[in-house]
Amino acid sequence: MAAIFTGAPPNSGPGYSFTQTPAPTSASEPRQHAFYPYTDNGGSTLGISSSNFTILAGDTRSTSGYNINTRYAPKLFHIDSADPSSRLVLSVVGFAADGEALAERLDTVVKMYRYQHGKTISVGAAAQRLSHVLYGKRFFPYYVHAILGGLDEEGKGALYSYDPVGSYEREQCRAAGAAASLIMPFLDNQVNYKNQYVAGSGVGHELQQRDPRPLERKEVEELVRDAFTSAVERHIEVGDGLQMMVITKEGVEEVYRELKKD
Amino acid sequence: MNHLPQAWGRPRDDIYGAYNHSHLAPGQPTTHTKSPIVTGTSVIALKFRDGVVIAADNLASYGSLARFTDVKRLRKFNDKAVLGFGGDVSDMQYLDRHLNALAVRENYSSGSGAGEKASSTSAEASEEERAESLDNEGAGTGMAANNLHKYLQKLLYRRRSDFNPLWNHILIAGLSTPDPKVPDATPQPFLKSVDLLGTAFGAPSLATGFGAHLAQPILRRVVPDEEAVKKIDEKTAVEAVRECMKVLWYRDARSLDRYSLAIVTGEGVRLSEDERVEGQSWEFAEGIRGYGTQVV
Amino acid sequence: MDTLVAQYSRPSGQQEGYSQDEQQELLQLTPPLSLKFALPPIAQPSSWLRAMTDDYSNPNCPIKIAHGTTTLAFRFQGGIIVATDSRATAGNWIASQTVKKVIEINNCLLGTMAGGAADCQYWLAYLGMQCRLHELRHKRRISVAAASKILANLVYSYKGMGLSMGTMCAGVTPQEGPALYYIDSDGTRLSGNLFCVGSGQTFAYGVLDAQYSYDLSEEDALDLGRRSILAATHRDAYSGGYINLYHVKESGWVKHGFSDTNPIFWKTKLEKGEFSNVTSELE
Repeated sequence: MAAIFTGAPPNSGPGYSFTQTPAPTSASEPRQHAFYPYTDNGGSTLGISSSNFTILAGDTRSTSGYNINTRYAPKLFHIDSADPSSRLVLSVVGFAADGEALAERLDTVVKMYRYQHGKTISVGAAAQRLSHVLYGKRFFPYYVHAILGGLDEEGKGALYSYDPVGSYEREQCRAAGAAASLIMPFLDNQVNYKNQYVAGSGVGHELQQRDPRPLERKEVEELVRDAFTSAVERHIEVGDGLQMMVITKEGVEEVYRELKKD
Repeated sequence: MNHLPQAWGRPRDDIYGAYNHSHLAPGQPTTHTKSPIVTGTSVIALKFRDGVVIAADNLASYGSLARFTDVKRLRKFNDKAVLGFGGDVSDMQYLDRHLNALAVRENYSSGSGAGEKASSTSAEASEEERAESLDNEGAGTGMAANNLHKYLQKLLYRRRSDFNPLWNHILIAGLSTPDPKVPDATPQPFLKSVDLLGTAFGAPSLATGFGAHLAQPILRRVVPDEEAVKKIDEKTAVEAVRECMKVLWYRDARSLDRYSLAIVTGEGVRLSEDERVEGQSWEFAEGIRGYGTQVV
Repeated sequence: MDTLVAQYSRPSGQQEGYSQDEQQELLQLTPPLSLKFALPPIAQPSSWLRAMTDDYSNPNCPIKIAHGTTTLAFRFQGGIIVATDSRATAGNWIASQTVKKVIEINNCLLGTMAGGAADCQYWLAYLGMQCRLHELRHKRRISVAAASKILANLVYSYKGMGLSMGTMCAGVTPQEGPALYYIDSDGTRLSGNLFCVGSGQTFAYGVLDAQYSYDLSEEDALDLGRRSILAATHRDAYSGGYINLYHVKESGWVKHGFSDTNPIFWKTKLEKGEFSNVTSELE
């Protein structure tokens, strides 16, 4: 515990400032490699939940810089797949090694819960545990944006999204990763009907906001495909393949579809 | 507190000290990490119908100096898998020692490895263990390439989390253990990589370092996807890899014309450590002026 | 024999895998809220963490944590009003418009969230646990003063590590009456009648200070809370989304909606004639 408290930098430490900081790549200095423990493997994920199912999706490209590492690196993980009643899927995007480590941590947590309590963990409980796992690395974060999908106790679709250090929220839809800024506005409009108005309700202040309704599975699958095909067109780190996991009360169904490989 | 609302709630300089950019950029010495000194360049590998070909040249560079010209960067593990090391040579040798110890431990407990049969299990092995290893025999006991890959991934990720990385990018080639859920599954060609951060990925063809730029496009032309892997034979795969070694020798200034090449199939590993780049023709160099856009 | 073997055999290197203790820890059902944190094994973890996460000092920092807020709470004769916006920003990106910034610690204590979203969520949940333990140990509800002190002491012990939170604890207890405390990650703990916290605080204070009086009726108090947040969402780019409104009474807290700012804004403008800076007709 003591080690934690000694970490505060002295206020009078070596006075770095913007101007004093050595330029990152000046050739004259002796070149030393500082170790930087993160990288960004690109890609994007998204999740949409509805009245009786949740869909998570992610592209399968893995990049480092401008290189494509591989065209098939899954970002979706079925948690505790050994349990036939498990309905949990985690998607992670960001630094792939952290993502994988996180998925394995959650898998262990969920399994241990099952062994010790003799029942499958609820999504709510799993979501909170995931938040705590992430926060456990508050001072050395997992460089990932996680989305957890499942079905709640009432059988409704549940979707939780996380920031890298574990703040979380239950939502209807969420896009994360490189193309989040391309996909999220599209989902706001198509899932939550943001800025859509009832036809013929008038103009100006009379306009009536269109109320969102639970979407059908077919509609959602189409939205996911449209979101990704569009993101592929406009983001270099997204492409190759689309991995989708559909969570229903019957189980978790995995669908793979090709995306453009350019 | 200052007058900019967007700064509120952010770390304050008077409490945390000024923002230190040097954490993000190279340029500061850290306590654990040394920069790689003696390094190996690319490793390339390619899957084919019944195995994997992997190659790496025999050079260990000291900066831009071609310092050691007979360093073997491919390593057999248990006659079932081959590892190709790019990056720091001392870390490679450390991992080599570590993996040797691991292989010895593994072979004691599982009783098979270097082509031995389970019946030759050491006398210490309990009845139970022996029964287990006999059960698994059909599936291939001991660590297969996929197990080895997972092990190395964990090891390197752990090291990066300790800020004490092993400065390598490793390709692991071999045959995977068959999927236990699928009946009558056979071992499949296995090729994955892991780097100093613990990032791991697999593909029909892989190349580390400069090879990722030069060799990978050529290899991808041969095996664009897993379907193509099933169609090509050993000869085509080896030819493609040799071609890539030649291209690398032409264009990678840290490469050598002597290399090691290994072929892993169900029969075992064929490792040859004194290959040469053959059929060289430097005619293309005649036409090169400047960096390519220059014509005169 | 063992010593003889040890003499001639050397380990191939350092211990690579996880130690027994570490493995045990991974498998253990650790208390979900624990005080064990992984630290980067370097000399100045907090400086390193800041380099990774402070998107104000460096807009290109790799990890962007959700930030940005307007929250307010004030005491009045009928209890305490707590109101917040619902926007979370990471750099210039609006990460969410539906954040619940009022955290229900238990059925009579509320906490608000400003600064790092994860910090607030985690530590207020931890506080909830401590409050429940206090109830079980002492067979009565914890006072707001005590609860806020638990939190203040906790974050103070992490001072310099990079936590970022500005929170208010509101509750009504028979001993204290309506009690309101402000706690931030520097370790400050203040009691008071009225607080606004976050990037939109100045705008909220402007409205709140002008209209505030302890003797406000319940309805007026709720309106004032809502109107103050509305003013902040209008003028602060980092605030917006929905207005989350709570009223804390001795019997517990009551939620008064999570309502979209946009209709409220137009209603305020068109019906009350405020916000005359905005035109309502397009010529």
